[in-house]
Amino acid sequence: MKDDITLHTRREFLRRTVLGGALSWTVPTFLANTFAAMQAEAADRATQVATGRDSTILVILQMAGGNDGLNTVVPATNDHYHRARPKIGLAESKVLKLDNDLGLHPSLTGFKELYDAGRLAIVQGVGYPNPNRSHFRSTEIWQTASDSARFERYGWLGRYFDNTCSGCDPTIGVSIGRQMPQAFAAMHLTGVSLDNPQNYRFMAGGRSRPGEMSSTEESFRKLNQPEAESVENSGGTINALHGPVRHAGSVLDFLERTALDAQVSSDTIRGIASRVSNLATYPGSQLGNSLKLVAKLIGGGLPTRIFYVSQGGYDTHTNQVNAQDRLLKDLGDSMKAFVEDLKGQGNLPRVLVMTFSEFGRRMTENANGGTDHGAAAPMFVVGDKVKAGLLGRYPSLAPADLFQGDLKYQVDFRSVYAGVLEGWLKTRSEPVLGKQFTPLRVV
Amino acid sequence: MLKPLLSENWNFTAAAHLLNRAGFGGPPTEINRLLALGPARAVSHLVDFESIAETTPAPAWAQPDPELAERLRAARHASPEERQKMQRAQQQNERERIVELRAWWLQLMATGPRPLQEKMTLFWHGHFATSAEKVRDAYLMWRQNALFRRLATGNWSQMLIEVAKDPAMLVWLDQAQSRKEHPNENFAREVMELFTLGEGHYTERDITEGARALTGWSYDRQTQDFVARPMWHDRGSKTIFGETGYFNGEDFLEMVVAQPQSARFISAKLWNYFAGEWPSEELTTALAATFRGGGDNFKPLLRTMFLSEEFYSPTIIRNQVKSPVQWLVGSVRVLERPLPPPLVCVGLTRNLGQDLFAPPNVKGWDGGLSWITTNTLLARYNEAATLVQGELAPAVASMNPKRPNASRQFARRLDQMHMRGVDVDKLFTEKERTDAEALVPALERRLLQAKLTPGQDKVLREYLDGQPRLDEGAILNAIRLVMSTPEYQVT
Repeated sequence: MKDDITLHTRREFLRRTVLGGALSWTVPTFLANTFAAMQAEAADRATQVATGRDSTILVILQMAGGNDGLNTVVPATNDHYHRARPKIGLAESKVLKLDNDLGLHPSLTGFKELYDAGRLAIVQGVGYPNPNRSHFRSTEIWQTASDSARFERYGWLGRYFDNTCSGCDPTIGVSIGRQMPQAFAAMHLTGVSLDNPQNYRFMAGGRSRPGEMSSTEESFRKLNQPEAESVENSGGTINALHGPVRHAGSVLDFLERTALDAQVSSDTIRGIASRVSNLATYPGSQLGNSLKLVAKLIGGGLPTRIFYVSQGGYDTHTNQVNAQDRLLKDLGDSMKAFVEDLKGQGNLPRVLVMTFSEFGRRMTENANGGTDHGAAAPMFVVGDKVKAGLLGRYPSLAPADLFQGDLKYQVDFRSVYAGVLEGWLKTRSEPVLGKQFTPLRVV
Repeated sequence: MLKPLLSENWNFTAAAHLLNRAGFGGPPTEINRLLALGPARAVSHLVDFESIAETTPAPAWAQPDPELAERLRAARHASPEERQKMQRAQQQNERERIVELRAWWLQLMATGPRPLQEKMTLFWHGHFATSAEKVRDAYLMWRQNALFRRLATGNWSQMLIEVAKDPAMLVWLDQAQSRKEHPNENFAREVMELFTLGEGHYTERDITEGARALTGWSYDRQTQDFVARPMWHDRGSKTIFGETGYFNGEDFLEMVVAQPQSARFISAKLWNYFAGEWPSEELTTALAATFRGGGDNFKPLLRTMFLSEEFYSPTIIRNQVKSPVQWLVGSVRVLERPLPPPLVCVGLTRNLGQDLFAPPNVKGWDGGLSWITTNTLLARYNEAATLVQGELAPAVASMNPKRPNASRQFARRLDQMHMRGVDVDKLFTEKERTDAEALVPALERRLLQAKLTPGQDKVLREYLDGQPRLDEGAILNAIRLVMSTPEYQVT
């Protein structure tokens, strides 16, 4: 029954915002409609409202390709480490010291500053049982928070959306880019994706007076609304019989839903992007640009709870040194700028950034100055309220303690997710993760 | 087994479906031509393409670089700064060529006489997904593309062995550097996980032993060609799939193909590519049997698929999300307009999430519903205006995330371009151009080969009625509006 209700209220929300807006189009009316619908929505539900201007925000940063954790948080005084990595190992004198044993990669000066300021937590040795060394499968495991041998249909963040916010604004989740991460895959609500706010709209062409829609745009909105009949009848037996969205026409249904989400979010997002300015200088990289946009959207008060950004290139089978130097420099500098920007806005206390990568790499370097796919690696959590410092234990590097040449995980990544869900997003983790994991206290 | 298609079920919808899936669609005249042939001859027209002459010349630079040896020599004697400068110039050159190559291939898809051959070439590109981002050599990318085209509907093990020896693949998955002292497992892993068997149908040991069998297959930078290096080959005994012997690379790949799972794997993937959904276990078994029965050749399998009742089931027809390439090529075909200039084409497909010759990773594009996000859907709606009205702004939206400055340069170059819209007189009869009652069904037939929903039909009529005159501008807007619906995104 819950599915019926949420699907119904969601349609109601979209109908009111998009169709209501289309009939008497002005920007203020549109916003008023949106707001009214959200209020109604909130009153409808017993569950917690996940969206809102003042709620906490989680930014997920994916380091795609499998980042070499050993050369990121470096056990620079460890003999096993240097024996396994005669060519690419980092000397104690080079790393940015964290304590007597560990240091950050020399490119991570941005992270070091955050660490010293008490804004960076490093969760050591994160992984999962029976690690998979395929990029694709392991990424899927992280994105769906599944066991190694289980296949989950929806992403962990999608399940969070479904559990807390089935009827609300699609901008609850925003992915920067052209693709949706599998983590967002959800039964009802998958969030939106964008990379360039200027183009995030239907360009009607031709001229119309400000605040007025051209007839092309008006027709466009009507063409992209769900069939009136299905909206009116969606509360009754049809859904009870067939289950929501997963019927034969699901491809078109999915397209309709995405079209609505795009329209509902486009005006707000463009408005924010043109109004808000960044307060820090970011690297000119893809990651820098992504975080820059996230900061704008946060500053403009978009009711988003989850942002998703990605940085690729970590699959360093050959000539790792140069590639990782460059990537980690970009990561640290972008993160530093992002924190500065949010601090300037006064929003830093509301924001938490969590990084992940599908796996770490082998302890032993390969013959091409690189490393092959491995297992456990560190995660980074950044924010004003983090439990700063080193969390968990560094996996043992002694040959006898390795599993098939890889570091053994100390912390299950789902414990970190649980800690973030419960400690930061203030929601129960068990319905989202499918079972109870001991939440790791990261905030 | 698959049920043969009954001739009474061969109609305009079925012919359109065949042309959309086995090719890139086409205007009503082409659909009617296929329809008149009847199912067997229509399928044969697409599948037996060897009898149709293909005369498109390769790009001028598609040959081993005659100055390469000289350049490599000069680089060795140059100062580090000079070397860097040379490398930059060379990479810029390769990037320009990749743009040319993308447009060259799109042109073949849009106007070439062998649509199925190009559709299969695109399948293989997504299957053996190799990226110019790492290979950085347009000639090698073209050469791999030519291999996919030559063996498009050919033999499975021949395809696999030639791909394993293909220079772009040797570079892409690091096989070129694999020697007996340090076998590189990258290709051996992906060949089983992604190309032939799928996860769970081989062991980690099969990977390491397979990698040993493949050692010595390498790439010669001077000649830009495959080279066997006997000194690098591990001649020892290997155990693969429980069999022990002195296997070499060919042996290993033949053994992989001989696994029953390999026929199921590739048949199911082909069905999904053409039918738009994964086959049931039962259908997979039937497809794999057909494939093996045809001597592991793809052509008999494709013929059987396209002539099967299952392929024309109502749940299959118009239920596949168009890939960006299908969207672009299919659109210019139904609009009977030329492809936009190369740079514009690159921008358009990039915004929609597909850069030819640069798949996101070795698994290729995820496809299906994952083509559709709020971002890419809005881009589709806006790019319709590029094709219909010659509006260039949506193409400029594209920016190269790895080189953000390039977008400005790109925008400048686009600013100097001019593009035409479609020729309305060519697409519609005089009656259709002057009477909304006639225009709406003509739009449906040309753009969707299906009906709009009643609600959409009403909106479109209201739109046309609301225009001061049913002139060219109004008709162009109407075309663009039909292309800006969820319905136009499926095929």
